[in-house]
Amino acid sequence: MNTIPITINDKKLDVDPAKTILEVCRENDIEILTMCHLKGIIDIGACRLCLVEIEGINKLLSACTTKVAANMVVKTSTERIKKYQRITAELFFAERNHVCSVCVANGKCELQQLGYKVEMDHIRYPHLFPHCEVDTSHPWYVMDHNRCIMCTRCVRVCNEVEGAHNWDVMNRGHQVRIISDFNTPWGESITCTSCGKCLHACPTGAIWPKAIVQGQLEKKPEIISELMEKRKMKL
Amino acid sequence: MNRQELQALAGKAKGKHEQFKHKICVCCGASCISSGSEEVLKKLQEEIKTRGLENEVEVIPSGCMGPCNQGPLMKYLPEQTIYQKVDCNNITAIVQSQLIEKKPIEELLLFADSREKPFVNSNEDPFFKRQMKIALKDCGDINPENIEDYLAAGGYRALEKAFFLLSPEEVIAEVKQSRMRGRGGAGYPTGLKWETVYKYVSDQKYVICNGDEGDPGAFMDRSVLEGNPHRVLEGMVIAGYAVGSSKGYAYIRGEYPLAIKRFELAIKQATKLGLLGKNILGSNFSFDIEVRIGAGAFVCGEETALIASIEGKRGTPRPRPPFPAEAGLWGKPTLINNVETFAGIAPIITNGGEWYSETGTPKSAGTKVFALAGKIKYSGLIEVPMGTTLREIVFDIGGGVQNGGDFKAAQTGGPSGGCIPAEHLDVKMDYESLISLGSIMGSGGLIIMDKSSDMVDVARYFMEFCMDESCGKCVPCRVGTKMMHDLLQKICDNKGTQIDLDRLEELAVYVKETSLCGLGASAPNPLLSTLRHFRKEYENRIMNHQ
Ligand SMILES: Cc1cc2nc3c(=O)[nH]c(=O)nc-3n(C[C@H](O)[C@H](O)[C@H](O)COP(=O)(O)O)c2cc1C
Ligand code: SF4
Ligand code: SF4
Ligand code: SF4
Ligand code: FES
Repeated sequence: MNTIPITINDKKLDVDPAKTILEVCRENDIEILTMCHLKGIIDIGACRLCLVEIEGINKLLSACTTKVAANMVVKTSTERIKKYQRITAELFFAERNHVCSVCVANGKCELQQLGYKVEMDHIRYPHLFPHCEVDTSHPWYVMDHNRCIMCTRCVRVCNEVEGAHNWDVMNRGHQVRIISDFNTPWGESITCTSCGKCLHACPTGAIWPKAIVQGQLEKKPEIISELMEKRKMKL
Repeated sequence: MNRQELQALAGKAKGKHEQFKHKICVCCGASCISSGSEEVLKKLQEEIKTRGLENEVEVIPSGCMGPCNQGPLMKYLPEQTIYQKVDCNNITAIVQSQLIEKKPIEELLLFADSREKPFVNSNEDPFFKRQMKIALKDCGDINPENIEDYLAAGGYRALEKAFFLLSPEEVIAEVKQSRMRGRGGAGYPTGLKWETVYKYVSDQKYVICNGDEGDPGAFMDRSVLEGNPHRVLEGMVIAGYAVGSSKGYAYIRGEYPLAIKRFELAIKQATKLGLLGKNILGSNFSFDIEVRIGAGAFVCGEETALIASIEGKRGTPRPRPPFPAEAGLWGKPTLINNVETFAGIAPIITNGGEWYSETGTPKSAGTKVFALAGKIKYSGLIEVPMGTTLREIVFDIGGGVQNGGDFKAAQTGGPSGGCIPAEHLDVKMDYESLISLGSIMGSGGLIIMDKSSDMVDVARYFMEFCMDESCGKCVPCRVGTKMMHDLLQKICDNKGTQIDLDRLEELAVYVKETSLCGLGASAPNPLLSTLRHFRKEYENRIMNHQ
């Protein structure tokens, strides 16, 4: 295999030029925080947690969408980036209504883990407390917009993996909402196959099965990644 | 049509115009139409007919002449005499004295109500005297709905020259030599962009004209598309030839129905004459253009969002790299330029890149169109050499602040730009100088503010715009603009604290550095620039609640 030399945090590596900075970091145990990334589905660079500094480029670039290039010098988790990651985490929490103690995902939530990782001891910004709906119309699942962080992992999984395209995004700015079909209740969806993939892809307590209670949620986003690996191998 | 036939047709069109002794242009840009210029045109045509002057006087609807506030405008050529606020009732009188008695009616001339002595030859009026028209040349002098008018004015000769005398590499070399920079906002060197697209090998490449123009108050691109659509079209075909593309898209916002109508008409006319379509002018180069209509989202002016929108997807930006030059529309190499950028191409090819580079400053060549608005005496559309000072624009061209007020600041670059205070009135209007003051050139919006403007409220207004127009994809912009807006609103309501101000500054830098696309990355600019130049106003709001 053709490889190219790159440097990440002073560590010299020879890597596959087809890979993203994030893939290379993960393979080499270099920690990068992510949220909208889910291995197996297409990356969109939306959460901005995985930003890295690259020598010679004056903008911070998202590791999940940026391919490595020969002689690239990358720095992850610099003081500046850490500061920004903490602000991002705070904005996530302030944007909708996150009450961990009564959430089904308590203890199993990627957003909660992010809060710990960035040492978010409190939130410095006023909570927006938007009015959000809880859609319980699906016979087995619930969609709670209070907990949604708009990572669109559900949208991409449903579209790219299940091929159903039940989920999409409506509106703009802080008014964006995940919608089922053309903004009809999930239970009335004519595209959803009730496969449950979005449930596992969702990093928070926004999508969950009705059969569970607070703190009991088990999410396995890795099943999506494994499924996609298997599909690739079959090809 | 082949090359010889084009030359013959252009000659014939020119001859036809030369038969007339006089030409009267009635501005039929969107602004003048809204003040009734179409009736004026009809009435004038009747008047000329009743007087039996049809063979002596040519009457045409034209594009924008510039001083839009004074419309409807009517221009007499070759005298260059402009009448303002013309209505159907004074047409007979104007024709009688201007054409028959050769005595212009002074009190109806352009700026007659505000200048001590209005100018009979409008080119001598300071509003026009300081201007230099390259992109807007012919705009206001020809009928945009008639391709023969454009041909008579030398139109499509650049295309002919490019096809028959220059190789694609040579066309790119001219554009590079012109040192022209993209007029869509970022000022990226146009020649370099063309060369990059040219170098990518692909079975299909695309050329896109960005006519989304979403900045509030901006109407430069609209005026060019309405006033001289063939010029933009010619620029696109030349670009297609240079980069090796056979397909172009013109993305024009839906709020510009007249621009869309005229550009579509231009496509039809050009196709009919063989200036567009298969084997243009008998060469082996083919190029088609399709119009795509934008639905009015500001973010769809951002190139990757615009491309997604053309592809029929939700118009949201995606991270770059890869840049559109490498992977753009349908994943193919794509050249995307602004309307005004394309409008500058034909003159560069005709007169040479060196000619263009002689105007302007070393780093910002050529001219720039501005939409001058706000508290300014003479507002409208102007085109000046790059490097013209703000003072010249405000006081010489614009006639100073309205009602003799004091100049406080000029806002450039719209929601992505900043405010320039009075102490920097002598700043040269070019890319670098504006950036050094914390503002940007942007697409050419220029809003003049007097002492009555509250700068905190100005920052709040633009933040509200960005908050509403954020596509909502990335966190810093989606939530950050909302937070900054709410904090600014709090300070405007005299409820802000010093901590709010600190938070605001921290968020501004964060949003600027982490946002996915240019909308978020530049949304903090109005805030940061007012903080830089008018910090006292923020502190006054916080400390003294005033
Ligand atoms: C939020 C946003 C809005 C934009 N709107 C426009 C626009 O309305 N028209 C335009 O030409 N460029 C716009 N741009 C710039 C384009 O992305 C792109 O850079 C430009 O069309 C390139 O053309 P140029 O090189 O000729 O300037 C916008 C950029 C951003 C980030
Ligand atoms: S359950 Fe499956 S099909 Fe239904 S929305 Fe979720 S991912 Fe799509
Ligand atoms: S529902 Fe879950 S997966 Fe979907 S956007 Fe919201 S947080 Fe992400
Ligand atoms: S910066 Fe704003 S407009 Fe751009 S992608 Fe992010 S949310 Fe969308
Ligand atoms: S993981 Fe890269 S931007 Fe979200």
